[in-house]
Amino acid sequence: MVEWLTEPLSYGFAVKGLLAGLFAAASCAALSAFVVWRGMAFIGDAIAHSILPGVVLAFLLGFSLFLGALAAAFVTALGIGLLSRKHTMREDTAIGVIFTGLFALGIIMLSRITSYKDLSHILLGNILGVSVSDVILMAGIMVAVILTVTFFYKELLVTSFDPGHSKVIGLSPEVIRYGLLFLVALTVVAGIQTVGVVLVLALLITPAAIASLLSKRLLVIVFISEAVAFFSSIAGFYASYYLNLASGASIVLVLSAIFAVVYVTQRIIAK
Amino acid sequence: MHIPRGGKVARFVCTLLVTYFLSNAYLFGIGAREHRFDPDGGEKLRVVASTTIVGDVVANIGGDAILLTVLVGVGQDPHSFEPTPATLAAIESAHLVFVNGFGLEESLLEAIDNAARGEVLSVSRGIEPLGEAGEEGHDDDRSPHGHVDPHVWFDPTNVFVWIDNIEDALIHADPRHRDIFEYRAGAYRQQIRELDESIRRRVVLLGDHERKLVTDHGLLGYFADEYGFDIIGTVLPGTSTSADASTRHISDLLRLLRKEKVPAIFVGSTAGQGMEKLASSLAGELEREVRIVGLLTGSLNPPGEPGDTYISYMEFNIDRVLGALTQ
Repeated sequence: MVEWLTEPLSYGFAVKGLLAGLFAAASCAALSAFVVWRGMAFIGDAIAHSILPGVVLAFLLGFSLFLGALAAAFVTALGIGLLSRKHTMREDTAIGVIFTGLFALGIIMLSRITSYKDLSHILLGNILGVSVSDVILMAGIMVAVILTVTFFYKELLVTSFDPGHSKVIGLSPEVIRYGLLFLVALTVVAGIQTVGVVLVLALLITPAAIASLLSKRLLVIVFISEAVAFFSSIAGFYASYYLNLASGASIVLVLSAIFAVVYVTQRIIAK
Repeated sequence: MHIPRGGKVARFVCTLLVTYFLSNAYLFGIGAREHRFDPDGGEKLRVVASTTIVGDVVANIGGDAILLTVLVGVGQDPHSFEPTPATLAAIESAHLVFVNGFGLEESLLEAIDNAARGEVLSVSRGIEPLGEAGEEGHDDDRSPHGHVDPHVWFDPTNVFVWIDNIEDALIHADPRHRDIFEYRAGAYRQQIRELDESIRRRVVLLGDHERKLVTDHGLLGYFADEYGFDIIGTVLPGTSTSADASTRHISDLLRLLRKEKVPAIFVGSTAGQGMEKLASSLAGELEREVRIVGLLTGSLNPPGEPGDTYISYMEFNIDRVLGALTQ
């Protein structure tokens, strides 16, 4: 049994992949509670698309594609923040408008240049191919996310549920809102280039979706999300090793399976 | 603001931080591990090739003296390949990894570089790459930003460079089998020479008006360059599946097809349905028949079918190209 657990870890790529996966899981799961609660589940998908013009521009100018993507992601976050300010527009609508616009801009830019490579996929990483610096990057993101969520937990809680009340008690919901958007943008960009896009999107939504079925208290949701994300990452990783399946997708399927089991169990109990 | 945050969260953060620093120490420990082939250890040289085409050439030179694993399986597109743990385990335990280079492997190359503990070599090293239209390619054969056309094997004379590179690398890694590698490389060179000559014999029969090609992007560039064909138009300006062709581009292409009376459009077998549809709607706009001819591109066919080795793959493609042009 012990051997069964340690065998994959004799490979460097597996250790690095598992660590990067766990760090991404910790970061995304911590954010997922707020993302799901605020009804902006598709912000991850939106950012994954809207980075395209940034990537193409960075490619043309010959600087880091990651920084190009990050800049475009921040523009997206800023745009979503501006449009949905003071409830002039729901966040999901703002996300849709901004991301399709930027993605289309990226396609236009892409069709103007000749490249033998698919720039729309160039930044997408894979959990099995992470480097030591990727692992360090994800660890840094994780520390930043967890510290931010820990220290601004109350502010995030209040602004997520009752922006009017937060103003009364002297918090600026604007600052918190933009802060959260930028944090999500950073996590998604770092995540898709290290562990891959499907895994990041799933980790940003499904853990909190599962937790929300089990509890209505935000703190409990955050902890259940973390636990679910950790368990799925490890279970999915070992399943992919022993069944020889793509690792990112295996982790996502474990998350989906947990969601299905919890959902069905609850329906049965409710009857 | 004094809000009790609870020791639980703080403790959780600390645990994560400690895990992080410990794991880093572990990682750097692994990175430092030696990985050399020991010829007297009684095992074979473990070699990985990125695509079936590179793999076939490597197998022809290495023969039974090496243990070869090919990463991107038959029929899979190297541009969008999803590795599994077994793939990465093969890379990590290999003594030598051969890649096509010039950006063909895209993000897979990064995974290979991150996992490999043996040497990673581009078989195309030393080939003069074709760049963007009218532009000189640059020398860096491992350039991550693919300004150059990676499909070098469409010109068999480039495969001579592959053979040299592979032969040198195998001999360097396993000098004990030098005689075998040299003999097999020599024999394979002869086969490639025959392939090249047979193409020349057939191409020479074509008239000037039969030497105009319309293809999807980056397919026959090296072939056209070596054997005197002209690629007068491409269906899409870039290989990206997201790069929509502009209306202008398509109408220009239509005008070209009308004027030049090109009998066929060549598309890659791994190109998406969108590409085929686009090509057929182009054909529909014209008043005459334009055939859409599929060519083998990034991968060999399964064993037993035509195109299951590099040489038969080339013969298959050449038959289709010349057949369509001279019908």
